[in-house]
Amino acid sequence: MRCPRLAVLLVCATLAPQTFGAELHAVVYDHNGKPLPNAVVVATPEDGSVPAAKSTVAIVDQIDKEFVPYVKAVRAGSYVKFPNKDDIRHHVYSFSPAKKFELPLYTGTPAQPMLFDKPGVVKLGCNIHDWMIAYIYVAETPYFGKSEADGRVNLDTLPPGRYHVRVWHPLMQGTEGDTVKRVELRDAGASTVEWKLKLKSEFRPRRQPLPGEAGYR
Amino acid sequence: MSSRRATQRVLLWVVCGALLAPALAVAEWGFDAGAGVNYDDNLPNALEEDDRKGDTAVTANLSAGFHEQLGTNTGVSVSLVADNSAYVRYTGLNNVGLGARAQLRRKFGLGTEAPWLAFSAQALHRDYHYDYRDGWQYDAGATLGKQLNERWSVRGSVRYDRYTADHLQPMIRPGISTAAYDTWGWNFGAQAAFLLTEADTLSASYGFRNGTVTAVTPPDLEVLEYSSAIAIDPVFSDTTRMIAYRISAKTDTFSLAWSHAFGRYTALNLTFAYRRSRTGSELGDYYSNLIGLSVSYSR
Repeated sequence: MRCPRLAVLLVCATLAPQTFGAELHAVVYDHNGKPLPNAVVVATPEDGSVPAAKSTVAIVDQIDKEFVPYVKAVRAGSYVKFPNKDDIRHHVYSFSPAKKFELPLYTGTPAQPMLFDKPGVVKLGCNIHDWMIAYIYVAETPYFGKSEADGRVNLDTLPPGRYHVRVWHPLMQGTEGDTVKRVELRDAGASTVEWKLKLKSEFRPRRQPLPGEAGYR
Repeated sequence: MSSRRATQRVLLWVVCGALLAPALAVAEWGFDAGAGVNYDDNLPNALEEDDRKGDTAVTANLSAGFHEQLGTNTGVSVSLVADNSAYVRYTGLNNVGLGARAQLRRKFGLGTEAPWLAFSAQALHRDYHYDYRDGWQYDAGATLGKQLNERWSVRGSVRYDRYTADHLQPMIRPGISTAAYDTWGWNFGAQAAFLLTEADTLSASYGFRNGTVTAVTPPDLEVLEYSSAIAIDPVFSDTTRMIAYRISAKTDTFSLAWSHAFGRYTALNLTFAYRRSRTGSELGDYYSNLIGLSVSYSR
């Protein structure tokens, strides 16, 4: 072949995955207009066609007697590990219908990750340290993302088409269903959606000391 | 023989250490610290308005120890405790307490709303500026608590307290004990706490104590008639001779507290308590108001 470099480039271009597609830019604010972290934005194709789930393993740590991260989004069918990075024991549990489980007193990382195969919200707790609370959002579609401090979620390379897009936050008032927006995404195009969520307070058992209460909590 | 005993003791400690080491390796070590100011408008528990003496104390406390989870629902905590109170005017009441506290806590179920029961005991030695007040303070009891929902929690407790002075003064009146600082009491308490905001907790509590209390007064024959012990107490006056006396009383305490959390480990606390002791005699009742402001830290 006269131009071997060109041939290699052509072969690579043919074999490379299709990285182009539609983009969805979401921004989530609180009711004061401040960017809201820990919001999960989910896009569901109207025709219900989603690729088959791949087996992935996500991680929710326990560090300084807190779950890290506070919100973790995974796709249904994913596994989650709960490594205890403190040098004490934790006792992780959930009563949520989407996943009821209990990991009694342990240190280190439990050998078997937990399977989260049912879409929904899973609220986590620790039976030793009652203030420890976190959430796992189990999405039915692969098109989701969690907002960071800037309140933004960018979903790239979505197949063009019509979507129902919604947002969830652990402290939102109302339901996810109230936030659904219909969006049509075109090939190589970008759409932007915004939400302003009313939030409620999060009342956790106190970690900080209370007057007259002695000893370790 | 003595060297054999010493060897046995060393071996015993080694065996105990070996048995405890795996548990302590995953024990939760931590400490609490606090500092604040307290005002009490009736320190001597005076009956008469003219005899009431109020003062402010600067307080500090520190405790350090460990919590060991014995099983999924039961944990034990052991800690060393130190506290200090320094009064602005009545420096004879200045004291340092040193001791230890232990608690066994069992949770009946899984989750934040599972009820719990805690048995606790504490022994502190108090070293007062006025030496005859020095003594051991003991406290033991049980507390039952429950988080009712996200915002409300309640608890009830029963405790026994005792104070035993180290030294007794020479007898003042024949046949009357000088153990005026030796007191005891049964305490029953109830508390409700409410999360006003994510950071602010309000609590209200009521306590009933049935036992003996110490009060200080100028010599009074009527008081002596009802006292089970009397001792000379110069804490509240350098010029007037005053006596401490012990008397049986039923004490009601109503308390309100507000606590504001800062970050993960710190809280600012404002407390108010109204305390009334009923002697059940012609002497009448004592009452006092206590206000406290403190910062506490727990890690």
